[in-house]
Amino acid sequence: QEHIKHPINMKVCSTGEPIPCPVPGLASEVLEMRVKEGSKIRNLLGFAMSRIQGDGHTPPTSQVLFSGTGRAVTKTITCAEIMKRKVQGLHQVSKLQYRTVTEVWESQESSPVQMTVHRTLPSICILLSKEPLDPQEPGYQPPAEINALSEESKWPDGPQGAGKRKSDLFMYFI
Amino acid sequence: MAEPRSPVSASVPHKLMVLPTPEGSTLEMDPLEYTLRKRLPRKLPKRRNDVYVNMKTDLKAQLARCQKLLDAHREICIHGLGLAINRAINIALQLQTSSQGGALQLAANTSTVELIDDLEPDDLDEAGEPLTRTRNNSAIHIRVFHPNA
Repeated sequence: QEHIKHPINMKVCSTGEPIPCPVPGLASEVLEMRVKEGSKIRNLLGFAMSRIQGDGHTPPTSQVLFSGTGRAVTKTITCAEIMKRKVQGLHQVSKLQYRTVTEVWESQESSPVQMTVHRTLPSICILLSKEPLDPQEPGYQPPAEINALSEESKWPDGPQGAGKRKSDLFMYFI
Repeated sequence: MAEPRSPVSASVPHKLMVLPTPEGSTLEMDPLEYTLRKRLPRKLPKRRNDVYVNMKTDLKAQLARCQKLLDAHREICIHGLGLAINRAINIALQLQTSSQGGALQLAANTSTVELIDDLEPDDLDEAGEPLTRTRNNSAIHIRVFHPNA
């Protein structure tokens, strides 16, 4: 946005070209979660968790695909990481690609000036699956071992976090 | 363990602070003055072809370094944490684009890294105890390689 000077200073919309996600092995009933810059993680995960665990009305889905572009990439990874922690035994495939996004910027003054910008942004697609995926696929990650990142190890000294941490808690990231 | 250091030093206001945590609950802090010190993240064992991307070094310099290592080793691993995830992906994709005929392949893995903050009381007379707080941040590890190498 650096080159866009006043008075064209309001982003009206940004649309990406509809590209198929390059992850193979997609089930037909995959739940697709498009993560945006302003999406709230609790909203995304609240919905995705109810669908993958099943809420009693609909049968649980077996695959969730998180995708995000540009500044939403970090949030996309965080969503997938939290879901892997909450649902054990998920297989994962991650794919990176460039995505062309068209942004329309408009003047905030009375004169209607519009400007269209094409930007190429990095994007990520993360497929989480209860069913096994091809381990030879680039970007495949098997389900985590018995996950040390359980609820009790997150706050080892209680919510106040006071005192010294035990050294063995550092071990599980190696 | 990484030594404590203070890339960011912030003074916590003199009132009860409620901090949001990643899980949505809140953490209450004592009404004392604290200095927040972020410790360095834990480093994975570093091989010669590992690159840890940061946001301080110029992007062009990091891209050139990756290209040089890739030419020497045929395979490199680019790591990015938090805000640097975008830059790590950018570097990997640019390497792939600039390779002859797109001959490079990318394999991305994600992980969670636990980070530790130290809260040091500013006023030692107030008998406040040093606190530590842990939080999680996302990370990416991208293997960039020639498929038939």
